[in-house]
Amino acid sequence: MTIKLIGKSLSSPTVRVIICLKELGLPYELESPASLQSLKDEDYIANKHPFRKIPVLFDGDFRITESRPICRYLVSKYQDKHNDTILIPNDVHKAGLVDQFISYELSYYDPPISKLIHQEKFSKRLFNKDPDPEVIKQAREEFAKVLDVYEKLLERKEYLNGEYSLADIVHTYYVYGIVTHSDLWDNRPNVKNWWNRLCNRDVIKKSLEETKSFWENNENI
Amino acid sequence: MTIRLIGYSASYPTLRVIICLKELGLPYELEPPASYQSLKDEDFIANKHPFGKMPVLFDGDFRITESRAICRYLASKYQGKHNDIILIPKDVHKAGLVDQFISYELSYYDPPLSKLVYQEKFAKKFFNKDPDPEIIKQAHEELAKVLDVYEKLLEGKEYLNGEYSLADLVLCPGTNYVYGAGHSDLWDNRPNVKNWWSRLCNRDANKKSFEEIKSFWENN
Repeated sequence: MTIKLIGKSLSSPTVRVIICLKELGLPYELESPASLQSLKDEDYIANKHPFRKIPVLFDGDFRITESRPICRYLVSKYQDKHNDTILIPNDVHKAGLVDQFISYELSYYDPPISKLIHQEKFSKRLFNKDPDPEVIKQAREEFAKVLDVYEKLLERKEYLNGEYSLADIVHTYYVYGIVTHSDLWDNRPNVKNWWNRLCNRDVIKKSLEETKSFWENNENI
Repeated sequence: MTIRLIGYSASYPTLRVIICLKELGLPYELEPPASYQSLKDEDFIANKHPFGKMPVLFDGDFRITESRAICRYLASKYQGKHNDIILIPKDVHKAGLVDQFISYELSYYDPPLSKLVYQEKFAKKFFNKDPDPEIIKQAHEELAKVLDVYEKLLEGKEYLNGEYSLADLVLCPGTNYVYGAGHSDLWDNRPNVKNWWSRLCNRDANKKSFEEIKSFWENN
């Protein structure tokens, strides 16, 4: 039975799940919602996501939401089945640290970079508000401090937990913010090398190229 | 080797881990930091939490940070060892749903709740700032909409995933604060939510933890 993923392939945490599915060698069907507004329909709320979000994944009759839990579920169920890519180590301590790094992404990395992306890409298009230079300046400064910490976390390591894992995957979908503020990554050697390593993985390379060219070629979402 | 937990029990992420340790029947030592400012010291950042936060847990030499990640680690390693409380089900689908509900707490429940915790409990006492009524009003309204969703999620269920799990545990400490700080109507006005919260308050680990916190606030 095929896995069905409801989401938009070129934005949002949908990309996070797509990368995870591809890394695990899992076939899937992507179904875009009719529109952003359709997420607010009663049917969507009742049968897909009670908080009106994407992505939503159906594995047969089993439904699960929220991109990071979806990834963890896919890894728990399928890792090692179609290829030998390990995204969550079997050792309980190493798995704990992967979880910790996923929490760092959520708590510290995501807020400032999401602000930047929102201001620079979504504010005008979706809300007809001009980007606020003060918010952008603060978000950039906050994000620079976060990357200073990542620079230390990546000292002598190729990936956040040593070996490639789900902890690295969850950081990859912010490519728009990275393209526009590339100096933040390029000025920190460990971070820069880590990012380049990630970009060289086949699955991620392809996904990021699709996302990057979408932003370069499209004025409309 | 004892588990060491670095944090203040009054800080609700630390309390989240305390409740988890208690539920799993695990002994531990709580080590409050020297001061709130000491979290930004070079030594703390290098050896405890790179972002200067608490809690931090040491299990022997193994160090782990971030309260929900700590709880998952403790459940993965120790559940079923000291008692029969299961916080993360073995079945991969049930475990996936527990994870989903933890993400709901983090993404939707906690943002307005944490605003209310700060405004009602910490602003004046620890930062000498008057609570901001506008923020409180907005956060209360936002949390009300979230709890409307929880009212439906709990339909026909005793706990979020049917049986008690980490999904319920993670929101207990913050809820306890806000419930007792003049916002109990948010839970009491929704029958499923009300019953669920009563059930949670009756658990020994919560009862004990909430009592400890109560005396902290009375004495400080």
